[in-house]
Amino acid sequence: MPNEIQLLTQIKNGDAKALSLLYDNYSGALYGVIIRMCKNEAVAQELLQETFLKIWQKAGSFDPEKGKFYTWAYRIARNLTLNELRNPSPLIQTEDLSVYKEKVATEVLTIDELKLNGSIKKLESHHQKAIELVYFQGLTHREAHEEMNVPLGTFKSYVQQALKKLRESYQLTIFLGWLLMEQIL
Amino acid sequence: MALNGTDTMMDKKAILETGMLERYLLGELSSSESQQLEAIIKRDTELQRLFQEMESDFEKMAQENAIAPPSELKDQLMSRLKKKETPVISLDEKNRSMKQYLAIAATIALLFGITTIWLYNQINTMQDKIEMVEAENSVLKNNFEEFEDNYDEVITWYNQINDPNTIQLVLNGNEKSPTAKAISYVNHSTKMVVVNAAGLPPLDNDHDYQLWADVEGEMIDMGVIPKDTEMVAMQYIDKAESFNITIEQAGGNDHPTVEQLISNVYLK
Repeated sequence: MPNEIQLLTQIKNGDAKALSLLYDNYSGALYGVIIRMCKNEAVAQELLQETFLKIWQKAGSFDPEKGKFYTWAYRIARNLTLNELRNPSPLIQTEDLSVYKEKVATEVLTIDELKLNGSIKKLESHHQKAIELVYFQGLTHREAHEEMNVPLGTFKSYVQQALKKLRESYQLTIFLGWLLMEQIL
Repeated sequence: MALNGTDTMMDKKAILETGMLERYLLGELSSSESQQLEAIIKRDTELQRLFQEMESDFEKMAQENAIAPPSELKDQLMSRLKKKETPVISLDEKNRSMKQYLAIAATIALLFGITTIWLYNQINTMQDKIEMVEAENSVLKNNFEEFEDNYDEVITWYNQINDPNTIQLVLNGNEKSPTAKAISYVNHSTKMVVVNAAGLPPLDNDHDYQLWADVEGEMIDMGVIPKDTEMVAMQYIDKAESFNITIEQAGGNDHPTVEQLISNVYLK
């Protein structure tokens, strides 16, 4: 994984190749979030582009001391998507119609295609749901606890327990990966 | 709001219990809350570690659930980027000679500007005149079309009345309406009945004149005579022995109000 800070400096200087690299590494993850939030391929594709355009424009304002690049990019994607869902702009649907036309047949995605994978699936269903709502659906904690019909405090503990379990799961993965490396070398 | 360790709204315990770290990560906090939290995290290594682990876990989870966008998207994005790339121009060296050119260009532009304003006014005046002429033409055209319509109508009535088979029958008013007079034109060949009702005294809004044909003692509706019309075609009834006009309620009636008969005439 290339040095994020370096890439962002390059982007600030107008280096499109640097953005291209970031796109290669992160577009899938961001697209997975955006498309689960808006459930519409054409809109999600436009929003993904808008996200990277914004990353391009605001590269100068990313502060590596405050956190990782991906967190910053995630927030950009989430905000753009939530804004679009609240105030659908006619532009997004009609801009570059060629993309839209090709995608019309598969516009609305089935639950099956959007199901979650990986460590999150190992969680108990209420923990999984909690994370899914706030992370992949873009709900605030308040909106999410109402959605699940549990008190806010209970919901927050779901999130924290889920995060704890994810941490254990990923730590184990890292450890096993390390073990494997040790074996190979 | 003061940011010392113990008495702020955000102390470490509260941060952990209320899930502020994850809310901050997700972007739920306001910018002022975010700034406060960032300052606190900066000074606390444990919070830093927790936050970094959280970032890492969320990122892994997102990567595990990544969905690859169509490949055309990247091409589109990169070409849009090219349009947005703004090259930086260094102005310093070009400034001085630019000023001279600018002065000349400004003068020429001013001359053009004055001429343009003058031309613009000329054009506007002419346009106003053209519009006036067009409006007059339009009025004349409308008037002429009205005349044509009226003429067509008059010719139609004239032809119907002057047909050799047309019989003229006058309906004079009886004692109920002595001044009433209506003229009917009947053509048994073309089955036409036209009535000139100009001579009937006007009725109020609640009443209308209605025309009936007497066939073997039975009164058959020929229609309500519309107010404010001179010549009107009515329903022709076979074997009518007489025409009769009554005053009915507005809109007409199924059967005549015999007491309100104001005129009749016999056909031969």
